[in-house]
Amino acid sequence: MAEEKSQDVVADEEVHALNDSVHLPGGYTITLPGGIYTFVFLVLGGLTIFEIIIAELPEGLFTLPILLAASALKALLVVIFYMHLNTDNPFYRWVLGVPVGVALLSILYLLAVPPVAY
Amino acid sequence: MSEIVQSPAPTSHAPARARTKAQVAHENNIKFAVWLYLGSEVVIFAILIGAYAVFRYNNPDIVNEVHANTGVGLVALNTFLLLASSWCMVMGLRSIQMDDKKGLINWIGATAVLGSIFIALQAVEYSALSSEGVLLTPGAEFQNFAAHFYPPTFFHGLHVLVGVVWALRVIWRARGGHYSATNYLGVETFGLYWHFVDVVWIVLFTVIYLW
Repeated sequence: MAEEKSQDVVADEEVHALNDSVHLPGGYTITLPGGIYTFVFLVLGGLTIFEIIIAELPEGLFTLPILLAASALKALLVVIFYMHLNTDNPFYRWVLGVPVGVALLSILYLLAVPPVAY
Repeated sequence: MSEIVQSPAPTSHAPARARTKAQVAHENNIKFAVWLYLGSEVVIFAILIGAYAVFRYNNPDIVNEVHANTGVGLVALNTFLLLASSWCMVMGLRSIQMDDKKGLINWIGATAVLGSIFIALQAVEYSALSSEGVLLTPGAEFQNFAAHFYPPTFFHGLHVLVGVVWALRVIWRARGGHYSATNYLGVETFGLYWHFVDVVWIVLFTVIYLW
């Protein structure tokens, strides 16, 4: 029963991915060749331009957090829509999420260690 | 006798997917293996990126000097190329899901071309950096920066190279009629790998080139 339900979910995702219409928050719908895939690509390009502009501005307190947030959003868009983690088996989220979480904590820990000689 | 699992057709002109439960289980096992592999790659790249991040955090003057000497133009172009290659990859998957075999070959071909250009431009970038003193040789002006910069970017470049070879294999199999609207697992698993390589570059671009 559970397996059959899983198959239905896969089929729904395929219908969505092969549609040229993109449903946006607020009830808006746009149509473009490639549908959600092309839309995500355009957003990724826009975010990259935004990142470059921010990096070229004089460095401030929020420069790094903004850059990291934009980068994280881009990575999430690719993982969710291009790698289909939003509709594929939910267990894959853990398979990817756990190492990413451990890696982030490890890097934050290393950054917190003072650079002193032994 | 195996039970047939019938899914509705993705579009009106694409055939319905009819697979046995054994086939579905086989596909799920392969995809799970690919995800596990990608999880292990996260750890490897985290070590390389973490080492660079600690160096950058403790030596901002050195990194700013290198960035001022080299600029971000070439790398920004490379970033757009890799993002475009990811889009081509997913459009290739979409094509075969719609039973468009010619579309699959064209889109994956574009992916391979963009990946190849990425590698070529990375070689150009390395050449420019070496002329600025970013070398691993002892006594080079930016040897310490080079020791933290080259490992993650070169390792990523190797992944792109493997991806290009994999893309050519997908094209070769597609030309042999291996893939169809009911059989595209090989394209899907290649796509997972390629998009992961794209995600790693998204992080590298921000941490190494923009920070």
